[in-house]
Amino acid sequence: MIVEGAVQAGCKFFAGYPITPATGIFKGMVDMLPGRGGLALSAPDEISAIAYAIGASLRGLKAMTATSGPGWALMTESVQFALMTETPLVIALVQRLGPSTGGATQGAQGDVLLAEYCTSGGYTIPVLCPATAMECYSLAILAFTWAEVYRTPVVLLTDKEIAMTSERIDDHALCPMTAQDRPTAKAGSAAYAFEFPQEIPGFRPVGGYEKVTVTGSAHDKQGRLQKNSPETVQVLRHLEEKIRWREQDFSVVESDLQAGAETLVVSYGVTSRAALQAVVRARAEGTAVSFLAIKSLFPVPKKAIVKALAGIRTVIVPEENLTGLYRSVLSSLFHGADVRGVNKVGSMITPGEILEAVKEVQ
Amino acid sequence: MGHVATSIDGMELVYERPRTLTDTPMHYCPGCGHGVVHRLLMEVVQEMGIQEKTVGVAPVGCSVFAYNYMDIDMQEAAHGRASAVATGIKRILPDRFVFSYQGDGDLAAIGTAETIHTVNRGENILVVFINNAIYGMTGGQMAPTTLLGMVTSTTPLGRDAAVMGFPLKMTELVAQLPGAYYVTRQSVHTATAVRKLKKAIRNSLEYQKRNKGTCFIEVVSNCPSGWKMTPKESNDWLEKNMFPLYPPGDLKVPRD
Repeated sequence: MIVEGAVQAGCKFFAGYPITPATGIFKGMVDMLPGRGGLALSAPDEISAIAYAIGASLRGLKAMTATSGPGWALMTESVQFALMTETPLVIALVQRLGPSTGGATQGAQGDVLLAEYCTSGGYTIPVLCPATAMECYSLAILAFTWAEVYRTPVVLLTDKEIAMTSERIDDHALCPMTAQDRPTAKAGSAAYAFEFPQEIPGFRPVGGYEKVTVTGSAHDKQGRLQKNSPETVQVLRHLEEKIRWREQDFSVVESDLQAGAETLVVSYGVTSRAALQAVVRARAEGTAVSFLAIKSLFPVPKKAIVKALAGIRTVIVPEENLTGLYRSVLSSLFHGADVRGVNKVGSMITPGEILEAVKEVQ
Repeated sequence: MGHVATSIDGMELVYERPRTLTDTPMHYCPGCGHGVVHRLLMEVVQEMGIQEKTVGVAPVGCSVFAYNYMDIDMQEAAHGRASAVATGIKRILPDRFVFSYQGDGDLAAIGTAETIHTVNRGENILVVFINNAIYGMTGGQMAPTTLLGMVTSTTPLGRDAAVMGFPLKMTELVAQLPGAYYVTRQSVHTATAVRKLKKAIRNSLEYQKRNKGTCFIEVVSNCPSGWKMTPKESNDWLEKNMFPLYPPGDLKVPRD
């Protein structure tokens, strides 16, 4: 469904390298893109794959690559390049058990912070995290819109269970929209023209009528290498400011809050499906409990979280990693509440395990 | 190490599993060449009496489990980095027999740079390169060594040179490097080929004592599952289609 979403979004270029559990996206793109006027290439490794995609995006095409943990590690230099050069790019990161080669056929939610914090300097990379086949489709389209409109790399974060499980969907319910396009540069303007740091500079394609220079080095608004001139520092601030300033535009959550509940379950990805089951069962047993499934992990949807916290004494964050990666990010928002994790590696967290944690609170 | 029989029902045993190979059923698909190459390596190690002095480095790919079968010190490396990890081991333990064991994806795609630089430095190790023209572990995608016109899951209409380039002849490439000491291409599809490969492995490990450079053995192998053939068909197909591009024989032999 990620492939279907990407094609619907208007993706015209894909490059990949085989890696379980992301190979299905690679194969799907190879099968679908050429027939729709696109190009899908096999790269000799993940470093090349993402670089091909950046090249295609520099020309103005909606471009994507897909990988899993070990491949992501190789891609991070180019993810930073895309961020620095404001090159729109979607990377589907299908998590598997780590560290290192880990477990190719075992799911995990271990790359949450690896995806977000792969950049030197504390920049925000938008991360979308679908929990169902339908969301793989709709959030893939949204990922392209974000990448294009805000000129940034966007991570579509799934895991082995989401990417490799067959699910029934209603194809009439599929969103018929394509993704939005990147803003175009005015003739004669600077490569990274902005007056206020939050502005998104218009894009000028390589190989067009005007000369284009792009550099991953610190640069001025013309895209020319400069060390620490005030303008270069302005550009560096702008890279973060353009995302942070419109933080609320990135908020995608599903909240199911119950009046009088003092316990809130916060989850994401495949685990949020188990969490929802646990919440339904807890309510059936007469326990009041609120539920928040987060689809846009970064930028953190603070407003939605703060709203869900009203009257809450205990927050439970189930996630499939050792130490509660996303919990560590959210904990500063949970001031005063008792924060508990339900963590597991090697297999999925069951609704029963989450239910037990909910009951322990009561 | 498991018990090794010396006779069965009073009959003389003329061929047996080498003691350097563990008594573990292999996970490889029926007819796959990996098992034979594993066995040959371990037969040579046993015959040379170097089990305690041999270190192998396996890749990411089908043979990631090589350590289950070869009863020697066996490491895995990150994808493509087997010869680089082997370099580190050999530099610190120059008296050990060190080999890397890599598939076409590991050695000729993601690890191309490592392979070329390892041979260019003349690292005194043996590189075993299993070329079956496909990514086996991930389900049969196009590899750098995939033949033109060959159908894989990522070349559903066959490999087209205009879009996907040409099959990479890695062995010819490394044979030109001054650091290469012995470069040969062998196969495991017939009994004769198996014996020749064993001789090449023996030569390579003997040469390692001389400290003269890298020994590089390409093994043209099969992938019945990835090629969607029976083992017999795959061996016939290999001889007919792989050999014209990847002809068996020595590419570089020591002159001294």
